[in-house]
Amino acid sequence: MKKIVNNIYVFLALLVVTTACDVQEFDDLNGPEVTGFEQGITRGDLQDLVGGIFYSTRDRLGTYLDDCGVLGREYWRFSSSDPRFTGDLLGGGNAVLDNNTFYITGPWGSRYRTVKNANLILGFLDNAVGTGEFSDAEISATRGFLRTFIAYELLLNLNLTDEGGIRLDVVDEDNLGPFVSKTEALQGIRSMLEQAITDLNQGSDFPFPLTGGFTGFDTPDTFVQATNAIAARVAAYQNDSSGVLTFLNNSFLNLNVGDLNTGIYHVFGADPTDFLNPMFFPITATTAGARVMQPSFLTDGETGDIRLNKVQQRSEPLTLDDLTGDYLVFLYNSNIDPIAIIRNEELILLYAEANITVNPIEAVNALNIVRNSASLGDYMGATDEASLVDEMLNQRRYSLYAEGHRWVDMRRYGRLNELPIDRPEDDVFSQFPIPLTENQ
Amino acid sequence: MKQNYKSVKMALLFMLLPFFVFAQNEITGTVQDDNGVPIPFANVIEQGTRNGVTTDFDGKFIISVDNLPATLEFSSLGFTTVSQQITDTSPVLIVLSESLESLDEVIVTGLATSIKRSNSANAVASISAEQISGTTPAPTLDGALYGKFAGAIVNSNSGAPGGGLSVKLRGATSITGNTQPLYIIDGVYVSNASIPAGLNAVSGAAAGGSASNQDNPTNRIADLNPYDIENIEILKGASAAAIYGSRAAAGVVVITTKRGKAGETKYNFSQSIGATSILNSLGQRTYTEQRVEDSFGVAAVADFTAARDAGRLVDYEDEIYGENGFISNTNFSASGGTENTRMYAGISHNNEEGIVARTGYEKTSLRLNIDHKATDYFKISFSTNYINSISNRGFFNNDNTGTTIGVSLTGVTPYFDLFPDANGVYPDNPNGSSNPLQTRDRATNKETVNRFIAGTTINLDIYKAEKSNLELVARGGIDYFGQQSRAIFPKDLQFQRPENGGVNGASIQGNSQYKGYNLAAFLVHNYLPNDTWSFRTQAGLTNEFFRLSTELVVATGLIASETNVDQAANVGIDQTRNFQEDSGFFVQEEINYKDQFIGTLGLRGDKSSLNGDPDEFFYFPKASLAVNFNKFGFWNDDSIWNQFKFRIAYGEAGNLPPVGATFTSYDAFSTGGLLGLSLNGVLGNSDINFERQKELEFGTDVSFFDGKLSFSGTYYIKTIDDLILSAAIEPSTGFTTEVVNAGSLRNNGVELAVNATPFSNENFRWDTGINFFKNTSEVTELGVDPFNIGAFGATLGTFRIEEGSSATQIVGIGPNPGANGFQLHGDAEPDFQIAFNNSISYKNFDLSFLWQWKQGGDNVNLTALLTDLNGTSHDFDDVDLDPSGQLGNGPYRLSQLGSSAEVFVEDASYLRLREVGLYYNFTPTLLKGILGGRIDGLRLGFSGTNLINIFDYNSYDPEVSNFGGNSIFTGVEVTPFPSSKRFLFHLAVDF
Repeated sequence: MKKIVNNIYVFLALLVVTTACDVQEFDDLNGPEVTGFEQGITRGDLQDLVGGIFYSTRDRLGTYLDDCGVLGREYWRFSSSDPRFTGDLLGGGNAVLDNNTFYITGPWGSRYRTVKNANLILGFLDNAVGTGEFSDAEISATRGFLRTFIAYELLLNLNLTDEGGIRLDVVDEDNLGPFVSKTEALQGIRSMLEQAITDLNQGSDFPFPLTGGFTGFDTPDTFVQATNAIAARVAAYQNDSSGVLTFLNNSFLNLNVGDLNTGIYHVFGADPTDFLNPMFFPITATTAGARVMQPSFLTDGETGDIRLNKVQQRSEPLTLDDLTGDYLVFLYNSNIDPIAIIRNEELILLYAEANITVNPIEAVNALNIVRNSASLGDYMGATDEASLVDEMLNQRRYSLYAEGHRWVDMRRYGRLNELPIDRPEDDVFSQFPIPLTENQ
Repeated sequence: MKQNYKSVKMALLFMLLPFFVFAQNEITGTVQDDNGVPIPFANVIEQGTRNGVTTDFDGKFIISVDNLPATLEFSSLGFTTVSQQITDTSPVLIVLSESLESLDEVIVTGLATSIKRSNSANAVASISAEQISGTTPAPTLDGALYGKFAGAIVNSNSGAPGGGLSVKLRGATSITGNTQPLYIIDGVYVSNASIPAGLNAVSGAAAGGSASNQDNPTNRIADLNPYDIENIEILKGASAAAIYGSRAAAGVVVITTKRGKAGETKYNFSQSIGATSILNSLGQRTYTEQRVEDSFGVAAVADFTAARDAGRLVDYEDEIYGENGFISNTNFSASGGTENTRMYAGISHNNEEGIVARTGYEKTSLRLNIDHKATDYFKISFSTNYINSISNRGFFNNDNTGTTIGVSLTGVTPYFDLFPDANGVYPDNPNGSSNPLQTRDRATNKETVNRFIAGTTINLDIYKAEKSNLELVARGGIDYFGQQSRAIFPKDLQFQRPENGGVNGASIQGNSQYKGYNLAAFLVHNYLPNDTWSFRTQAGLTNEFFRLSTELVVATGLIASETNVDQAANVGIDQTRNFQEDSGFFVQEEINYKDQFIGTLGLRGDKSSLNGDPDEFFYFPKASLAVNFNKFGFWNDDSIWNQFKFRIAYGEAGNLPPVGATFTSYDAFSTGGLLGLSLNGVLGNSDINFERQKELEFGTDVSFFDGKLSFSGTYYIKTIDDLILSAAIEPSTGFTTEVVNAGSLRNNGVELAVNATPFSNENFRWDTGINFFKNTSEVTELGVDPFNIGAFGATLGTFRIEEGSSATQIVGIGPNPGANGFQLHGDAEPDFQIAFNNSISYKNFDLSFLWQWKQGGDNVNLTALLTDLNGTSHDFDDVDLDPSGQLGNGPYRLSQLGSSAEVFVEDASYLRLREVGLYYNFTPTLLKGILGGRIDGLRLGFSGTNLINIFDYNSYDPEVSNFGGNSIFTGVEVTPFPSSKRFLFHLAVDF
């Protein structure tokens, strides 16, 4: 009997269990969720979301530029706490590039992060069509802006993996498109830019502010010139001279001595949620973190070239991993100086490059604009194609020093074997492996 | 007035006493040990009833029984149990022999109940106060667990004062989830959080692609005072811990603090002072002109010779790590009360300096425990603990800016002059971004914690009869702490000055508020139909709520010498909130047949806000059986066999998904003042659930010769299904990880323990024990592609999760890659661990020591590589690594960089004299004359920790972890705070 009574207690307890165990459900307490924007976005939301594009496009930019700068033997990257800059990147000893190390996974993932940020906004905009929050022209302008960035980010990744290719279609994370060849990737990037140009041409004012790096390019009419400039670079990579010239025609190309820096820029800030310019090291930099000039930059330079001031001599040489140098890359004066996305000096050189076969005299004229801007006299060498390519590549080397071009340029002209080797067992790699986690 | 009250009470007592005397048979007697020393607080229970009393200070007892003859059972912790039939009321003398195996201690089996160890079906480890702080007091609670029981890997993450330990029970319990056990103190769930101080803002450690926290914060279990602890029980896996459900997969550590004892108030005062020094210094490279020229260029040779000739060569390792830190521990406790109300009060103050100047750990702890028996059927007990702790941790571990003391020291050669001039101005380090002496003297990294832990338990006997009773146990607990972290990098530091690329001073201040509360209520029903069967049923509800909010302010560009975060040019604030609510129920039935067969069945059901579906119940069953062959009557009472038990237990437990795993979210950033939202890289998974551990353990406990020789062996098979994995997803999705349930992991392990008392007589006693532990793990199923995890990538050695391999294998690039493209270089899992414990007493001397041997288990050691790159390694020119005998170790390691990670993966075996203590106890006769005989005991002694260390590992200590202790991927070393050894002198007085 007592047992029965007690069993009733147990039963009652179980009854309480079934009713008293509710737990509270929490939303993400620490950041806005993607689902929060899917039902529609306001102008304020769009401003914040686009703000994220400016942010993430700079994430790991320093690593990207170091990848290109070190592989292109423009400079050595010293980091006493990370041996892989002077090991793997220079192919020291038996080292090869790893497919799961920061130098590829970092920039690769960050570029696709920007692409995803932009693709999500494109999706939110599709839902916003017809809601009256934005005009059709505003939506079109925003799409053009976003597509320009998607194409630009994809191009940087393709620069790293080159013949390894990239994924072009990454809209649906559950159903990614395949890796496509370099040729197909360049074509896809160009089509994306052409679509962006169309979008921008149909756009009214951007319904969001741009950073100070886009001064002069902050309306669809002017921004489209930057989109054309990037498209010109892509066309050059495709060896399509006429395409280059067509895009340059609609870009902000200015063939005047002295105007080299007009363009669009990444800006930086000391705010802790912002990035500092990752390419800035002070002239007193130590082996803890320094970009030490590869010696041929000075020895190959022409006397009087003011571009040689892009390096500065340190009081004492730095030594790490059997590399010694006393000149440091000194492109930026502070840790919040802007870094160019694309600027007129490159456009002049692209104009020169595209004209080498079409109009060698115009090519020489363009090269002279660059030479004169660097306080050098006119080009006096031969004007056959090979000589002009030599001269064009040489001007690109000094004009675009440490801006991520040398390695790509030497590769597209098949001249990686001409790059200097600093230690007997070093190697010049032509491309980075596709990151391991892409499961290729 | 007080006096009067006391008199009234006494009078009442006298009035009541005769009433009992006449109504019942009163048995009196004394309980003693083998040596005739009275045993206080021994239990005296009338067999088959709940009638029981405890002995007083003189071992005396009075118990009233209804009928004579009656059988009384006498027991006390650490002694064998004796049953004796009493036929009349004449005084009895009971002698209990000491039991090494502590057969009669009780261990936790239910959330509200316990069971005699001899009847337990689980290998629950139990650690007494004596073992925790008797030999040598560890600075933190978890530090006292080393080698004390089989089945755990205790690992120190760094030598910084104030803790930072990890405890891992029975192998790899989770790949990405929590691997630290749940800590419960007097029924209160306590937080063992490690809250980073935000040093990453200066060190940039996570920038190299390694997102893990490398700040090396203290883990909060370090706050507890080891002196307050009476007993620790360790439920090592799901078979024992299933009753704790969804948070118990990594095991549960159940801690009981000291309670007051009725009688005269007893005081204990103890003081220890001592010193700490570096455990193993590496020494310097032997420099010659040629070597300096080879490594640092011709220009450096003149600097070297000038310094050498002037006798100015400096051993900077010794400058930084050569301090002898002072240690002082003071404890005072009082215990006493009446039969109805008892109290224990303790206060302690610990102050420990580190081996680096300006580091240290200071803790003050106050405890008050009160037990009140209001009526025969209602008891209430309170535990309260306030802790204030301050730790100065220094600035160590990995960085990407060359700023931590450890990393900058790798670039320092002895001919540098880094000392401040007469005006206190420090020269810049010519070969690094930080002058380590300046950073040590000027930078601050301080954590301050104020913590309050309080718990209440209420026992209500609802119903009581001869053969059954029903009890209600209700429990509530709260754990609250506020943690402040202050990391100050003044603007005059070399790396903070703008001309060196600095941000002109940084002040990083964190403020965390944690509140956890837990409520539980249980009904316990005992049913004893006859002498052969007994049944115990329990059912209960539990609810837990945890709330952690952290604000981290990073201010740079400090104004003048201000450190307040508003006195700065740039201020960034990051707030993180983690809320969690769990709720569940629990039922359990225990059946005991004559102590021969003891079976248990139980079920726990849990919900959690962290699950994809917070409304779904998840169930965790358990079942166990113990068979005591010695109770079958095969052996008579004089047999050498005391115990022969076979036991088998099965249980399931969970491990919750990480906070935020269900969300796809943005973080806020800025670009030149423009705000923006960028994805945080985690793809949310709304289907994420518990990972489920299923553990089957079986074993045997045997003891002979009155417990003087005992053996315990356990084998377990532990599988973890629905493994929570932070799966690396294709980065082209825009995300880097998704938290998924995908895979299974299996651990098999053996735990063996032998304890013996080879000698024991009046003057001499030797107790010895040895325990052995081996675990192997295997990933048996993986629902995602194999992936590398932890450490710094394959070039330098990384962990890799793939089907059919150990969960802690270390792979890397190498000349002989396997099918997966990587070469297997090692495994973090030790081959085995052995602890050898001895306690010898001769007359008034007590000597105890504990050796610990860890065999195998590999680390990824990058400290040597960083010094190689700077040409400063102590073994740079030794030739013992290169198989061809050509290259020095430094050049050889560098030559391997990029071609093989083998040289960075090192065997982390060690053999240590973990603890040693020698004490002298003054005999009471000696103390008689002092203070009128008021002193009951006086003990003087010396003790040490880590005094002898034998290892081949090429750094300060194989016990290290750059990434803290929260995952199984720990043994990675990057210029840590070196470990230390400790020496202490002790004085303890009981009065």
